[in-house]
Amino acid sequence: MNRVAHWLGDRLPISSDDFRELTNEPVPNHMKRWWFALGGTPAYLFVVQIVTGILLAFYYSASPETAYESVRYITEEAAFGWYIRSVHKWAATLMIAAVILHQMRVYFTGAYRKPREINWMVGMFLLICTLSVGFTGYSLVYEQLSYWGATVGANIADTVPLVGGLIKNMMLAGESYNERTLSRFFVLHAAVLPVAMVVLIAIHIAIIRMQGVTEFSFEDEDENEPKTFNFFPDHLYTELIMGLIVMIVLSALATIFPAAMGPAANPLETPEVIKPEWFFFVAFRWLKLFTGTAAVLSMGFIVAVMFTWPFIDGWFRKRTRFQEASVWIGIGGVIAIIALTVWEAVARH
Amino acid sequence: MKLETKRYVIAGLGALFLLSLVLVQWMETAHKAEQAGLRPPSIAVPASSKACVDCHSQAQPGIIAHWEGSTHAEKGVGCVECHQAGATDADAFLHYGAQIATVVTPRDCSRCHLTEGQQFAASHHAKAGNILASLDNFLAETVEGARLDFNPHSPTPGRAVESVNGLASAFSGCQQCHGSKVAFQATDGGTVTVDDLEPDENGKPTNPDAVARIVKDDNGRPLMSPGSWPNTGIGRLNLDGSRGSCSACHSRHDFSPRRARQPENCGKCHLGPDHPQKEIYEESKHGVAYRDLKDDMNLDGDEWVLGKDYAAAPTCATCHMSGHLRNDGKVTHDPGERISWTNRPPVSLVMDTDVNHAIVTETDPEQRRRLIHDSADDKRGRMKDVCSHCHTPDYVNAFYRQYDDLVILYNEKFAKPGLAIMASLADQGLRTPTQFDEEIEWTWFYLWHHEGRRARHGASMMAPDYTHWHGMFEVAERFYVELIPQALEIAEHAAADGQRSQAAAVRRTVSEILARPEHSWFELGAEEETERVRREMERRYGQGD
Repeated sequence: MNRVAHWLGDRLPISSDDFRELTNEPVPNHMKRWWFALGGTPAYLFVVQIVTGILLAFYYSASPETAYESVRYITEEAAFGWYIRSVHKWAATLMIAAVILHQMRVYFTGAYRKPREINWMVGMFLLICTLSVGFTGYSLVYEQLSYWGATVGANIADTVPLVGGLIKNMMLAGESYNERTLSRFFVLHAAVLPVAMVVLIAIHIAIIRMQGVTEFSFEDEDENEPKTFNFFPDHLYTELIMGLIVMIVLSALATIFPAAMGPAANPLETPEVIKPEWFFFVAFRWLKLFTGTAAVLSMGFIVAVMFTWPFIDGWFRKRTRFQEASVWIGIGGVIAIIALTVWEAVARH
Repeated sequence: MKLETKRYVIAGLGALFLLSLVLVQWMETAHKAEQAGLRPPSIAVPASSKACVDCHSQAQPGIIAHWEGSTHAEKGVGCVECHQAGATDADAFLHYGAQIATVVTPRDCSRCHLTEGQQFAASHHAKAGNILASLDNFLAETVEGARLDFNPHSPTPGRAVESVNGLASAFSGCQQCHGSKVAFQATDGGTVTVDDLEPDENGKPTNPDAVARIVKDDNGRPLMSPGSWPNTGIGRLNLDGSRGSCSACHSRHDFSPRRARQPENCGKCHLGPDHPQKEIYEESKHGVAYRDLKDDMNLDGDEWVLGKDYAAAPTCATCHMSGHLRNDGKVTHDPGERISWTNRPPVSLVMDTDVNHAIVTETDPEQRRRLIHDSADDKRGRMKDVCSHCHTPDYVNAFYRQYDDLVILYNEKFAKPGLAIMASLADQGLRTPTQFDEEIEWTWFYLWHHEGRRARHGASMMAPDYTHWHGMFEVAERFYVELIPQALEIAEHAAADGQRSQAAAVRRTVSEILARPEHSWFELGAEEETERVRREMERRYGQGD
């Protein structure tokens, strides 16, 4: 082992001490609690998505004539195709769930506050990218709901004042869904968004490394015990255990509830019920509650508030005595998100 | 707020979020599985039909179970949507607060399925009730039964039979396929039908006297005449003036498209000695392929477009009704749109039809051209569009040549001569106007109605055994061994009775027919042909007899 280290040391400008330093960041004790380690789960699931996505891309063909058939081939004929597609589908769901749980933890513990406002915003960009990659992925199957979901999504974007038409045009590569739309979604889903996410994740982690993980101390912790523990191997083990559990859960979900094929897209027949993927239920229900531009603008306002929340919160805490107002706003927000999501799931139309 | 408290807030909200996620995923997975046809769809009983479903799921659980498996149930179409009736409808009655009618007619279905209703109304299927005034019906009502109730002639142990219903064969036989004339029991002991009700264009009765004669039970429900109901015959004559019954093919109460796509569905009526289309289909390569490849037929598909959703084999529906790639998947509910010969009458007719969808029988070419609205060639073109999904144009054209040749051979060699002999006997007064009271009338009926149709239908759907052994062989045997001798025997008896000129006329007709080249073998013999066959048999098998 030493000979290998020496061999590498002679050729790479990193000493083993530097490498240990780089990988062995002291981790605060609160990270021993698994719900504080949810940031690693979406990163792990992102890797799963990259691997399964590459395998799916071997077979997928992004044109209206061939897309559905290629997905059918993957699902019904390619060896283990159904499993890879199902893992990809469920990993997307779990990744979005893990991102939301991670963001909830960061929010309620106030870990976004100075000096970590920028990293919160990087996280928000990652959330937007994750949702976008989900939206484009859903469209690639070219089922009825894929087609009509994309059409409805583009029409919603169209209602944005001034730039709506441009956004719709850029999404669909034209005024309406056409033969170029699918390849555009594919490039976004398989190249642009994943690369953007890799860059954002790198920035996210780099900022964490620079600032260190937010430290929390709980009442039941011994004052005399060390405040930190080693990333390697202690925290890595926690992450590995979580990764294995996630993989088992993923495999179980993929096997018990494999991804099915809906009816193929038919531009001439609008389905009775059009629904997006579950992570857009909240937005979809919101749009149904209000009308047209007002609904889109109000949603844009909410997203803008989420982006700039660390600054709004800082301003609020400085000028008012309600130091914990963010917790109550957060509770209200989470309950509203859950309620709107369940409402949309339960409602027939 | 303490960090411990926040921990509980996160744990609580996180758990709530995960629980909602499980719920949403469970619903979405179920929804996707429904869409993919992996599990039956969830049914929400419409509020207007909730009381019906509650009660009838106890009384007739089968009806509700069938409905629950239907697309109607999936789309929220309940009992009331189909069974609803206006207060002035002849068959309406108040049933636990809802005005409903028992019989659902094509007019009712057309409230939602307008195009299908119009196509069906123009079809030969919708006119199947015309049999009520045809030779076939005379057979059932008079020959097999009686147009009256008569007394039993001896007791039936264990059963007190007071009178015999002479129309029982027509009711349970012919009319179950062709359709009954739906009737109420009348206060005068008779019946009230569409003829009495004289419905207007909206199906509402215009004759209040007829409505007043309808017998009703204590709950105000009109009593149906049992001979006419239950009946799902495809040409049923309904009380609202509409014709037919959608449930003839789309069996109630699940109205399954899957079932309507299968040949067994058509086989309720299109089988038996006189028109064994289902058996013919089963003998054909099409039927053989279907039996083998049924699992690849996508019978459960929402759409069923030949060339897109399946191509394993054709069924009756495929060729005669269903959509395909060459017609943009357009389904028709008029099976006659693609049929170029009618093989129903004694002599097959070319299916040139006028604006009323009636066959043009005009012989003057100019007049005929003016009358034709939809030509047989157009109809054949539509059928060829179906064929061409699996066969080349040369193949299809050559098949149609074989089919045309067989029909024309039957028409010219046996049907038209047979018709001429029967007409000659009638013209000369050597048979009575009453059908089926003389042996030769049965012979002729067997020849064209059973054997002749089998031969023609067999050729139309590529079933060689039905074309030959069950068809042309029996036609020939019936013609030479029964029809000709019986006609000559009648002439002989007539001559003996002094009707010499009449007998001579019939003999002349028969002689002229038998003197034709295609019949000459029968009287002149065919020694050369027989010798040629003998020599060939000897060469092949070493013996010539």
